Amino acid sequence: MTTRVPAALLVVFLALPVGFLVVQAFAGRAMTDAIANPAVRDALVLSLLTTTVSLVIIVALGTPLALLLARGRFPGRALVETVVDLPIVLPPSVAGLALLLVFGTRGALGGALEVAGISIPFTTLAVVLAQVFVAAPFFVRAARAGLANVDRQLEDAARDLGAGERQVARHVTLPLAAPALAAGLVLCWSRALGEFGATIMFAGNVPGRTQTLPLVVYGEFQAGDLEASIAAAAILILAAFGVLLAVRTLNWRRALDLRAGG
Amino acid sequence: MTRRAPALALALALAACATTPSPPEPVELTVYAAASLRNALEQVEAAYEIAAPGINLVIATDSSAALRTQIEQGAPADVFLSADLGNPQQLYDAGLADGEITIFAGNTVVLIVPFDTPAAIRTPADLARDEVRIVAAGDEVPISKYVSNVVYVLARLAGYPADFSNAYAANVVSREDNVQAVVAKIELGEGDAAFVYQTDALASGSVRTVPIPDEANVQAHYAGVVMTTSAHPEAARAFLHWLTGPDGRAILAEFGFLPPS
Repeated sequence: MTTRVPAALLVVFLALPVGFLVVQAFAGRAMTDAIANPAVRDALVLSLLTTTVSLVIIVALGTPLALLLARGRFPGRALVETVVDLPIVLPPSVAGLALLLVFGTRGALGGALEVAGISIPFTTLAVVLAQVFVAAPFFVRAARAGLANVDRQLEDAARDLGAGERQVARHVTLPLAAPALAAGLVLCWSRALGEFGATIMFAGNVPGRTQTLPLVVYGEFQAGDLEASIAAAAILILAAFGVLLAVRTLNWRRALDLRAGG
Repeated sequence: MTRRAPALALALALAACATTPSPPEPVELTVYAAASLRNALEQVEAAYEIAAPGINLVIATDSSAALRTQIEQGAPADVFLSADLGNPQQLYDAGLADGEITIFAGNTVVLIVPFDTPAAIRTPADLARDEVRIVAAGDEVPISKYVSNVVYVLARLAGYPADFSNAYAANVVSREDNVQAVVAKIELGEGDAAFVYQTDALASGSVRTVPIPDEANVQAHYAGVVMTTSAHPEAARAFLHWLTGPDGRAILAEFGFLPPS
């Protein structure tokens, strides 16, 4: 009894705002109007496009890094781990400012990029870079934990049976770590989808180009169109809810446990 | 080798995304505009895309100061429409604006209150009362300069307390990024009163306007510039020219903007 009341209080506090927003979105015509609203539609398409590209980049670069962190022994390893974890605790606005100071026109790499004819800030590419920066740690952490838990004896057994390193990775290591990799991927995607602070600082808020769904929630609220703001928010809540539900039903819970990252 | 391949892939992806395709197709003009212009520009966009076939306007709105910072940091704007003269001037001085600064509209400041206001504000003098919650824009937002002028003059009028300026400042409970956000806070009842542009008051269906004595009011100047980094300077100049012409002015007037003076 004494534990149930405060526990219930917190659950209600966490559930009420989110639940109310979704009800509000579907009760009126907000949702149907929003889908017809070009700002929401464009943002939905842009969000799906940019998060897909971000995921491809994160998996391509993050899997080798996770393998290195799970298996390798090298000097400065603790420092690398800290650097990889940093974006998780950093305020996104700080991430956005930092990205701008490096990749901006007047940034550290701005001159070199300009010579190469590349302009990153306030473009769709900037949206992707902001997402990769804030979301990659979620994948690397989960993947590192999953790969570290793979039984090395099974890999050795495969080698004894004549498998090459590529075959070992493809048929033994990656399948065994798959639940962890998938859970990391899903978490990483939802973090990228929800990315706001770094995006608005580094990519701005241009419809069709850098205005993703979270920026619509902010932009339409600021512009006084509460309905569109609510609809965009409801889409994000449903996506986040779906992600967590998927992780649960597919029994990836253990992989989700961040403590396993060590 | 295997560890380098991903880095190479990233570099290629970056290069592929960043090279802008040369457009023989519709010319896309990116217009960075003060938040208070948002509603009017939706109509301007529709009208201009008919008047100038082949031009596609992309309009991004925020506070003029935020947009100026973004342009300074390399944001690819073709035209910048500011709610003041200062921000375009700063871009001009930095060599980022091409040609001259064009004043295309004017605006005045009004006091708004929620329809069912508990604080019952009847004149700007009531803003000095203790319990009033005032919502204002941040110091860097152009309207704040105009508002401090208004407050400064009001404080010297008969019927206003001597410490009106201080009392006003003490009652400010929130500072917003732009004027639209100020209006939103009043509409939601999160504040009792706010100074906003006349155009914002007109656009909102759920606020009431409290008159400001004429002698205390100011005229805000809206000015536009074409950016030196624009890929389509001719098209950008043509748009700015159209906006100051009869068609552009008619739309701006519909939304409560004054002709440039």
